[in-house]
Amino acid sequence: MYLLAKFWEEIEVRNVSTLDSGDVAALIYLFNPLTIAACAGSSTSPIENMMILLTVYGACAGVPPLAAFGWVIATHLSIYSMMLVIPIIILLGYGLDTPPKKLFKTVDKQKKSDAQESSMSKPIKNPLCEGSTQQDQLVLSFSWRPIIHFMLWAGFWSLYVLGLCSVSLKGHGGLREMFNKTYGFILNVEDLSPNLGVFWYFFAEVFDFFRDFFLLVFHANILFMISPLVIRLNHRPCFLAFVYIAISSILKSYPSVGDSALYLGMMGLFFHELAGMRFSLFLLSGYIGVSLLSPVMHNLWIWRGTGNANFYFATALAYACFQILLVVESVGTMLNHDRMFKQQYKI
Amino acid sequence: MAENNSEDSSSPPKKRKPRLIAFVGDFLISHSYAVSVFCCFAGSVALLLLPILAKNTYLSENALMPGSAKPTFSSQEAVTAKELIKELIDWKIIRDENRMQTYEIIANHMAETGADVYYHSFYSRKKQFHPMSFFMGAPMEDNNNHSSTHAVNSVGIIRAPHGDGKEAIVLVSPYNSDKMELSDALSVGLAYSIFCLLGRAAWLAKDIVWLAADSKFGEYASVAEWLKQYHDPVFIGKKLNFHPVDGDIQFVRGISEDFKRAGTMAAAIVFKVLETSQGTGTDNVNIYAESSNGQMPNLDLINIVHYLAVHRHGLHVEVGKLSSLLNSLWLKMVGKFLEGVSNIVGSLNPKWRFALPVLDYVEGTAVLASSVYHQALGVPTGPHGAFRDYQIDAITLEISPRVSLNSEMARSSFLVRVGRLIEGIVRSVNNLLEKFHQSFFLYFLTSPSKFVSVGVYMIPFGLLVMPLPILAAALYSGKASEALVQKSDPFNTQKSYKASQENPFPSVGSWKWIHAAKLVFAVHLWATIISVLPSLIYQASCTNTTTNFLIWIALSIPSFFFFYWISLSSYFHSNDAGWAILKALTIGAASIGLGLMSIINFATAQIGAIFLVPMCLMVHPLRQIYRGAGLGELLHMVSNVVLGLIGFPPASFILLKGWSQGFEEVNMGDLWVWVENLWSWNSATYLYLLLVHLPCWVLCLIVLLHP
Repeated sequence: MYLLAKFWEEIEVRNVSTLDSGDVAALIYLFNPLTIAACAGSSTSPIENMMILLTVYGACAGVPPLAAFGWVIATHLSIYSMMLVIPIIILLGYGLDTPPKKLFKTVDKQKKSDAQESSMSKPIKNPLCEGSTQQDQLVLSFSWRPIIHFMLWAGFWSLYVLGLCSVSLKGHGGLREMFNKTYGFILNVEDLSPNLGVFWYFFAEVFDFFRDFFLLVFHANILFMISPLVIRLNHRPCFLAFVYIAISSILKSYPSVGDSALYLGMMGLFFHELAGMRFSLFLLSGYIGVSLLSPVMHNLWIWRGTGNANFYFATALAYACFQILLVVESVGTMLNHDRMFKQQYKI
Repeated sequence: MAENNSEDSSSPPKKRKPRLIAFVGDFLISHSYAVSVFCCFAGSVALLLLPILAKNTYLSENALMPGSAKPTFSSQEAVTAKELIKELIDWKIIRDENRMQTYEIIANHMAETGADVYYHSFYSRKKQFHPMSFFMGAPMEDNNNHSSTHAVNSVGIIRAPHGDGKEAIVLVSPYNSDKMELSDALSVGLAYSIFCLLGRAAWLAKDIVWLAADSKFGEYASVAEWLKQYHDPVFIGKKLNFHPVDGDIQFVRGISEDFKRAGTMAAAIVFKVLETSQGTGTDNVNIYAESSNGQMPNLDLINIVHYLAVHRHGLHVEVGKLSSLLNSLWLKMVGKFLEGVSNIVGSLNPKWRFALPVLDYVEGTAVLASSVYHQALGVPTGPHGAFRDYQIDAITLEISPRVSLNSEMARSSFLVRVGRLIEGIVRSVNNLLEKFHQSFFLYFLTSPSKFVSVGVYMIPFGLLVMPLPILAAALYSGKASEALVQKSDPFNTQKSYKASQENPFPSVGSWKWIHAAKLVFAVHLWATIISVLPSLIYQASCTNTTTNFLIWIALSIPSFFFFYWISLSSYFHSNDAGWAILKALTIGAASIGLGLMSIINFATAQIGAIFLVPMCLMVHPLRQIYRGAGLGELLHMVSNVVLGLIGFPPASFILLKGWSQGFEEVNMGDLWVWVENLWSWNSATYLYLLLVHLPCWVLCLIVLLHP
């Protein structure tokens, strides 16, 4: 409530630039109706969200054990969090979000061409803060130390969790059964009861002998996204984590509103960068419309019996479209934002 | 998108051909005014054409085969019915403490046919506000909320000789045990005679359940209570304390209160006999089909009744109509105009002739209007409404004889005619292999044998609602881009050829709507609070309806100003042209609300769109119109004020009521009664009025009065 009051106060005096993006993110997450819905439905997604945020926080703060712990538990809860290892490594190696390195190379009148891949392992000159003068530069390098720490800690925590699991699951089939019932359940899409995602409808329709093939195709969708995004966004690891989370919440087999709550909250972190985002009102209306419409459609199909599965799936598709638009727009806006520095320095 | 932008940023903008969908979107948005006018006009025309577009009904389900078997209902059954009728009528005259109760008389007769018989007792319930009840399907359980008096239904079940006990057909005959009229006795008698017949029928494949519903607390309540018990059994500790020991009720012949069940219900038929004769040449069957929130039974059920009644038994079938429209002059003029157009077109090519004769058109419109109105109200038109909450198709048949039924002869011939009809219906439903699913669930009737299906009636609604998002986008994008261009940007020295996309650090830029959104949100929050008030006022129990209404108003207005005050300061900070964004958001909220309502209850959304759409499209700050002095401005202003007035729900209620019944009879209390009726029946229309319509009206008013 204090945050809310502060937020409105700052909005009132139109001093938006002083607003702390962390506060905004917290506000968006805590007052998001989707968060409230996830909590009211006693979903476990808040716990998962906490673990994911712990991972990102640990990586931002440069505390490898914490990041490793969050990552291991989040991965234990849902396999999709495994992707976060990439932003974590970049975060631990380089530090927080900054404008792209190649930008500063142009500033330094270096050649444009050796910009991207090769620079990963080389020391790079980077200004400390955005828009500062060129003289004010510090040497930042990619350091392997925290990453090795992270890896060791991750190994330790995984062994620890697996050990505890094997002890507690001794009489129930052991670890093998656990992986079958958790990751296997997520990857095989065994439960086809309707949800917000796009998997259930498709796999309810598909013929059995094509099932394996399409399972592969659907899961590969997420995997295909990983490398292009990391190439394009490696200078903004936090934002990369946000995009990964958003994409996995669109394409995961059993999505819930709690996942959307997480990435919408994280979007608040990039409040200043995304201020010029297009379609913001359209997206807001879309989210409101879909979140009101989809329970009604579900009711029409399941309870009243006057609708059918297509009614509900249509809202799920619309929801996916809005989410994709959100991701595309936010990535575009972020890249534009970074490009503006370049234009500024060229002149 | 990212690639496109990167190309553009390094080179000056080339004239690129936009993608088709973007082009169409741009075109629509830039011509939003013309599109709005065209869509509204087309929507209104399509609405007036609906009676002409109605199709004849047909039986979709082949298994039904109505009228294929010869009816076996004979005068012998009529004689047994007359015995029960006589007994029931005589019961009224006997003033004896130890006499049998009506439900016992009925139950004894049921038991004589060899059926499973039991009593179902229930209490009357107080009115309760369950705002989300339409969402849950079945009514919610609430045990503490009932009075001390109770009523007793008698229920008989015939187990089908060929059935497996998985399915059942329900017959309901409501009667009032407090004052037994001839019509009540006739309904029960009719049901009894059919029950006797079905008890002997060898062809029965579904169980028959006869519910003699004691409508002391209303016909709907008794059926609803029984259905609730049937579907959500209440076990330990909750059994009604209704034992022979503690009351004057003695059960005879081992008829118990143990609840018995047959299978899932395939269909239910409620029938009531009216004593008064219509004076027409034939017996009249009035069909009521609307249940809560505009849900309708499958059209096949109505088709069976219509087919059997008209084509087999020579009865006259009617559905409700708004009789005040029958003499309406303008409707006749519209009919004549359409007929004229159709004649002209027909002279070119006879196949193109489309219109109905004027009288048919007016009649069709009156029936359609009644159908839409009753669906939109969301209040069931009879006890059949309770069945629809459990996805059971049900209708009420109100049967009025052609002559008075005081003579024995008239009674028995009437019973035979109607008995055969109901036997035919039961036989037809008995043939059903699955649930009713072939025919339509979403339709309006324009006569008992004509209907407008969902695919057709969605067109006018779609046309009416379509301009809303387009105009919202036009208002928003126009203002947004303008604002961004105005913004002088410290970095963007390359002249803003792509200012709207490339603006790097806008502090509020595209989030400009946030102040208006806050106001919209506050108004909706206010509306939510207002919508809970009536049930609270009702609980506080002041009997005078006018006083209640005034209390409601008195509580609403200060709370509105409170929310207004909270949210408005920032809204006025934003800027002078803030009204356009506010209007865009209002329109957005209206279109989301209407879209949502069209799925919950289409008829409400349809009527709501007629009121809401013109108001939202036309609204413009009066002060700005006032600056111009032409005739157009005057017209604009007057239409704004008139639409604003009509859009206010109480005003439109009073106008409609005054128009149909005369203005001298209208008072504020009526409005309260109407509203109370809506919320106590858990109608989604109530929520629509208060959560969509009222906030949009308030927001339009704020735009109108924008300085």
